[in-house]
Amino acid sequence: MSRLVLKFETAMLKEVPLGTRPVTIGRAPDNDIQIDNLAVSNYHARVYVEAGSLVVEDLNSLNGSFLNDIRVERAMLKDGDAILIGKHEILVDQANDAAHTLDALRKAPVPRVNETMILDTHERRKLLNAAVAAGERSQLSPERHRIPTLLVARGNTDQKEYRIASKLTVIGKSKMATVRLGGWFTPEVAAQINKHEDGYYLGRDDRLPKINGVSITGLTKLNDGDVIDVGRVRLSFLYRE
Amino acid sequence: MHIEIGARTDLGRVRKNNEDCYLIDSSLQLFVLSDGMGGQAHGEVASNMAVQTVLTHCRQGENSRTTPIFGESRPDVSERTNRLASAIHLANRKVFDTAASNPEQKGMGATIVAAWIDAQRLSLAHVGDSRAYLLRAGSMDQLTADHSLVAEKVRVGILTPQEADASELQSVLTRAVGTNGAVEVDTDEQALLMGDFLLLCSDGLTRMVTDPEIASTLLTSATAQESADRLIDLANENGGADNVTVIVLRVIEKSSSMFDRFKIWKRYSG
Repeated sequence: MSRLVLKFETAMLKEVPLGTRPVTIGRAPDNDIQIDNLAVSNYHARVYVEAGSLVVEDLNSLNGSFLNDIRVERAMLKDGDAILIGKHEILVDQANDAAHTLDALRKAPVPRVNETMILDTHERRKLLNAAVAAGERSQLSPERHRIPTLLVARGNTDQKEYRIASKLTVIGKSKMATVRLGGWFTPEVAAQINKHEDGYYLGRDDRLPKINGVSITGLTKLNDGDVIDVGRVRLSFLYRE
Repeated sequence: MHIEIGARTDLGRVRKNNEDCYLIDSSLQLFVLSDGMGGQAHGEVASNMAVQTVLTHCRQGENSRTTPIFGESRPDVSERTNRLASAIHLANRKVFDTAASNPEQKGMGATIVAAWIDAQRLSLAHVGDSRAYLLRAGSMDQLTADHSLVAEKVRVGILTPQEADASELQSVLTRAVGTNGAVEVDTDEQALLMGDFLLLCSDGLTRMVTDPEIASTLLTSATAQESADRLIDLANENGGADNVTVIVLRVIEKSSSMFDRFKIWKRYSG
């Protein structure tokens, strides 16, 4: 059976099975999914079934509803989609095994310990691995088989195109830089891209890089098609087949 | 770029012996920290063996290119990082074999977190719940993912971070060095910048001191060693329930910069 999973950062807060009734989301307590946050309108959005498909509809909320980072008023949903409302994510989970394994893990007996000990029971490890795998399956990662690439739009770089193959990609004058920049005043590390489990992130650095014209303030996830400005160099980040 | 180092380990206020261990090779810029487990001071054996093995293997790797790599070699990280992971695989094997041949040491193990700096590249490898933090531009991030039952539950979504902090099961690990024939080692790489702080610590610190307290201590101390001392004191003031160990690294300007040389010239030229 399908369900919606409410998440905040890495924590799963609530899951709601999707039946025939629409599921409402908002700050008011009579919503099916209540999100107690000022960025969320009292009746923010709803998810319902229409002609066999799942649909999300924004209920004229103040801050909008986003499907996979695109603001929507009404859109069709598929397995793995993520609806962003305020800072909370609502995942669409249509895979059946995820629920079963997580239930099993919840019911697993838990030891009482004071000292550090290693969880050695084969059963428990198997359950944990299955639960982690199930958790990963419901995460959004359609780019898994596509190659992240940087295309140089303008600037003094040693190549026109770079494939991102490493955990750490440095942009700068340093010898260890993947994207080697020229120029007397170029820093050794002008920007860096780190590979995390769920995607690629551009870090805060000397040059305060911009993504799509906006200066980043912290580690920011890169999306397909983002334009990165590092000083005078402009790069396009995209996933190639 | 210069790395200023501070480090300290302490018994804490409750435990009878210190099963934490750390080793630093400042010329190699290799920093290793381990928290041992297993009754009757066997934790001490495990953690000592773990850090010694890592140091020796890394040194060997530097001296001879033909030193074998243990565990799989990853294509998406540097040679140094692979060497660090290999060292931990070897340490795992050593502790495990020692425990297997000595019935009273059965079940002994340790966490490990290791940092190796090569110019601006930081190679990081770890197993367990000892952590590495990066403090940059006033903001502190945990670089390592804890291999503990509560942390795994949070990642999967069964517990919230707040519930995890309050849990009685925080010390249950899902991975350790020496408790299994093979172990999965997490690795990471970062490019270091001037002004960065890197902190390696055992859970004795983070159970007693909050992240904001840690960050502010790092930012308001005059030297890395002062930071390390103050962090230990804070952990003890707040209860000292476990052994506590910290290694504080600060990325600063080269010790004799152009400006310093000018000042010296000025002084001597009257």
